[in-house]
Amino acid sequence: MTTKIIELGPHQLALEEPMYFRVQLEGDRVADLDVLPGQVHRGMEHLVMRRNLYQNITLLERLCSLCSNSHPSTFCAAVEEVAGIAIPPRAEYLRAVADEIKRIASHLFCCAVQANAIGEIPLFRRVMEVREIMQRAKEAIYGNRMDLAANVIGGVRYDLPPEAIAYLYQAMEDMKKPLDELYLQFANNPALMARMAWVGVLPSEAAVECAVVGPVARACGIDYDVRKKSPYGAYDRLDFEVAMQTAGDVRARNLVRLAEARQSVSLIEQCLAQLPAGPLCVDTLPEIPAGEAIAKSEAPRGELMYYLRTDGSDFPVRLKWRVPSYMNWDALKVMLKGEPVANIPLIVNSIDPCIACTDR
Amino acid sequence: MHMQVEETTVEPVRLFRINTGSCNGCDVELAVTSAVTEFDVEQLGCRYTEDATEADVLLITGPLTVKARDEVLRLYAETPRDRITVAVGVCPVSGGVFRDSYAVDGPIERYLPVDVNVPGCPPRPQALLAGIGEALQIRQARRAGVEPVGRADGKGQEGDNFPARCRLSFDASVCVDCRMCRHVCAAGAIRFQEVEGGVRLTLWHNSCVFCGLCSHYCPTGALSVTGDWRLDHPAADAFAQVERGDIPYAPCSGCGEPIVPAAPQLLHTAFRRPTPEIDKLTALCPACRQVMSIGAPGR
Ligand code: SF4
Ligand code: SF4
Repeated sequence: MTTKIIELGPHQLALEEPMYFRVQLEGDRVADLDVLPGQVHRGMEHLVMRRNLYQNITLLERLCSLCSNSHPSTFCAAVEEVAGIAIPPRAEYLRAVADEIKRIASHLFCCAVQANAIGEIPLFRRVMEVREIMQRAKEAIYGNRMDLAANVIGGVRYDLPPEAIAYLYQAMEDMKKPLDELYLQFANNPALMARMAWVGVLPSEAAVECAVVGPVARACGIDYDVRKKSPYGAYDRLDFEVAMQTAGDVRARNLVRLAEARQSVSLIEQCLAQLPAGPLCVDTLPEIPAGEAIAKSEAPRGELMYYLRTDGSDFPVRLKWRVPSYMNWDALKVMLKGEPVANIPLIVNSIDPCIACTDR
Repeated sequence: MHMQVEETTVEPVRLFRINTGSCNGCDVELAVTSAVTEFDVEQLGCRYTEDATEADVLLITGPLTVKARDEVLRLYAETPRDRITVAVGVCPVSGGVFRDSYAVDGPIERYLPVDVNVPGCPPRPQALLAGIGEALQIRQARRAGVEPVGRADGKGQEGDNFPARCRLSFDASVCVDCRMCRHVCAAGAIRFQEVEGGVRLTLWHNSCVFCGLCSHYCPTGALSVTGDWRLDHPAADAFAQVERGDIPYAPCSGCGEPIVPAAPQLLHTAFRRPTPEIDKLTALCPACRQVMSIGAPGR
């Protein structure tokens, strides 16, 4: 068998982001691969130390646009932890609403991109059209389709007046049927089964070894969701089940995502129904003392961790992240081994890799 | 009739996208313009290509990282000489929130010429289409050998259905020069400058990411977010895309030093019911105000 090494980039892999791979082939099968990172390295660790805590809210929202709300909300949670601030209950719910809206849009984008990768263009367009309901809602409520600007230190800076609540209820209603249909399609459609089932399998032992998180882990039967394991914000008052699958293949990952998107609809409805009255934010300019804190959240791609150290000034002394894609893309080696070259774009996209988060 | 037949057989204009290290916001929104009927670039007679050598219009996103530079320039060199280049989002033009990093090598114009800028972070699909439309006009004009005209309709286009967060607007008459806006702006879009008889605020739309944090923390409402999203412009006009206002000095009514008097909006924030006594404080410099409220400081 001939061994060959090829390099693949975003234009071959149908990626939105510049991720490059060096793939070693045996015949037409993948034997090994290396991720060539760094294209999206913007020096975030350096930048956050040159921006004050307020500026970092906006900067961190742009660390990655697909999980853009998870970053500032987790960052604010870390700052609040340092300062001993308990945010108002209404703000807790409003943060959850923003996070869940982003989760639905992010998961659907991932499913759409995979449909595109296997040439199912009508399905790609259909998923993107369904996602548009969320995009429109984001713009209507927050003013932008990607970056919501929902968070401030001590709470949120948007409110849901009664018209907005009614609008969101309707948007959630509009999502239910399409999401149920998409779930059934990804579960049972023979053409999709043929491409996605038993493809890119990550056995659960390997999943544990790679320490994968998020839908990639839950698709291997690993019951881990930060919203349940260590609830933050409003999540301890919301009712949901952790979406799980066991097959560990591309199909299972998508079923987890679609089940979660449907659950997010329910979570948003619960938030709207329970939304407590009261202020949106504590003191607009709280004192931030010296200290350190860790904050975690369940971003669309999995557990997101922030470590923050402050010295009583306006500038962070240190800010570090552990982002979900870092562990998940390590698992690509296992998923891709022995797969035909033609499956590479699909499998790579099936972990929903976020290069912007990982390269920073 | 004859014209129409010709038009339908015309080759689509091919769009090629290069991500130079973006947060992926602009790229995901560009994906929308290939997937969602309402915003499909097809309506402009365009389609996307994955082949750089076919690029009629080149769409560039991201702040150009050091690491991405060589690959970006290699791809750029493959594109045809007569391609029109569009900078999508504020990143390629100014670096946006990523400016001043060791890892960022932009603005992109240091390495290659840009024809059109589409401010926004990310720009909404309507703005992306408008920017691509502007590129098509330039392309047509160049092919016809004439000077491209700027876009026909000026400002305006208040946010259709949605109160989208777009161009910032500044009302100098209520600004109190506290500079909180500059303090919270991650993009470094706001500058204060001493000018003849006052202070000038300049806000650059090619750096502003429309986050609205300045307006959130502005105590008087001098900065406000508008729904005006139509900001695409020829790259040559990049530095004219500003919001500007002069905050005039007035002499302190105590000592005559030039000061920025407090706006009534500030008094209403600080005191529930300002009295004429409190009103008088607004025209005093801090030193005179102290004397008036608590007497001369004892030494
Ligand atoms: S302009 Fe904004 S949305 Fe676009 S890539 Fe830059 S940071 Fe992301
Ligand atoms: S909206 Fe204001 S704070 Fe945000 S980037 Fe623009 S000028 Fe800066």
